[in-house]
Amino acid sequence: MVDTKYIGINFNYYRPETLKEVLKRLQEKGSRILAGGTDLLVRIKTETEKPAIIVEITGVKELHILEMRNELILGALVKLYEIEKNDSIKNTYPSLHEAVKSIGGTQIRNMATLTGNLCNASPGADSAPPLITFGAQVEIKNLSKKGEIVNRIILLEDFFKGPGKTVLEPGDILTRIIVPEPDKNTGSAFKKLSRVNLDISKISCAVFLERDGNIIKSIKIAVGAAAAIPVRAFYTEEALTGTIFNMNKMQAALNLIRDDISPVTDVRSTAEYRRSVAPVLVRDALGLAWKRAGGDALL
Amino acid sequence: MRIPISIMVNGKNYNLQVKPNELLLNVLRENFSLSGAKYGCGIGECGACTVLLNGRAVLSCLTLAVSANGQEITTIEGLSDGNKLHPLQESFIEEGAIQCGFCTPGMILSAKALIDEKPEPLNSEIKEAIRGNVCRCTGYISIITAIKAGAKK
Repeated sequence: MVDTKYIGINFNYYRPETLKEVLKRLQEKGSRILAGGTDLLVRIKTETEKPAIIVEITGVKELHILEMRNELILGALVKLYEIEKNDSIKNTYPSLHEAVKSIGGTQIRNMATLTGNLCNASPGADSAPPLITFGAQVEIKNLSKKGEIVNRIILLEDFFKGPGKTVLEPGDILTRIIVPEPDKNTGSAFKKLSRVNLDISKISCAVFLERDGNIIKSIKIAVGAAAAIPVRAFYTEEALTGTIFNMNKMQAALNLIRDDISPVTDVRSTAEYRRSVAPVLVRDALGLAWKRAGGDALL
Repeated sequence: MRIPISIMVNGKNYNLQVKPNELLLNVLRENFSLSGAKYGCGIGECGACTVLLNGRAVLSCLTLAVSANGQEITTIEGLSDGNKLHPLQESFIEEGAIQCGFCTPGMILSAKALIDEKPEPLNSEIKEAIRGNVCRCTGYISIITAIKAGAKK
């Protein structure tokens, strides 16, 4: 068993103050970005990761940005507690707020960044499902061969490639998350099941929908910890789109969630359990999102 | 590689040199002989290593000492004013909220961060604030009572 009292490996440490210097350091072999440290330092201590160079990015001012005008912009260094304490985010993006609030304990949320939660790419990363349903994008930067900063923006939905794997290549940094402003008559909600309430999810679900009278005009559902990556529930979405909201008549559509996910059995839960509870979790999130969109959830 | 850092610990400024892989917890315990923060799980699950960084509760076992450069750190040793205990320390004693004492420094610091922000916390807010601090002796009832009493002092 590894001793987690000390860090057993040696590395060089740099804390650049500009993005360009960060990107230059990231070109060096064995470099690794340090932001909140709550995931990276655990992996270094348990020697599942052995970086040669740590590039702490907390000195780069522009990465601290948290701005909400039309869209919401969250820089790579925005910590979970900043989202938790932000009333505008709570009101406009309630599912994101609920998800962030459910992560870890106070200390973890004081340290960890939202971007870190995404880049760590745990299939159960709680912040991913709500951001996916809002159609969030991520901005990624790296250095070209000429040494210029190159920018690309992709949908968060296309960001995850597998457990612990994302589209990020060596030399890349995720600089900001961009979340579109929800239209009127929309509502969102996040639900998760875990053993105790600060625990990692057995399964999680976010719903974002648009209401037109008593009809679900459009809906996006994303599920966490139920496949190798956070996934959209396309079958369920399709079956629910354009239907009249009625809890008693939606069960067949909700059961389609079992075809949308591909859960495995692991330390936190079994595949069978995850499949069994998924429709219930979606139902709960759907009811709450509907209510938040101004609908009558008792239907 | 050794890196010079300047940190404020319990109200005093210090300049020192640390290695990149040194943890804040070990620097506080070994260089400063401040043994209040404890090594518990080492992976961010127990909260025994909690200290305040610029007033917010953080885990010193998952913080590099170099990352604390230029920041203010408060440990449990920094709470009392000479011989006068902090109100939370008094209330923990009065309410019998301590048995083995291993979780107590972290528990009190988490509570301090809470009452600095919310002087009259609700029970639910107290529970939320100490969610990341594990106690295996007293149970949490007397701890919650002590935090409520300390906040009123």
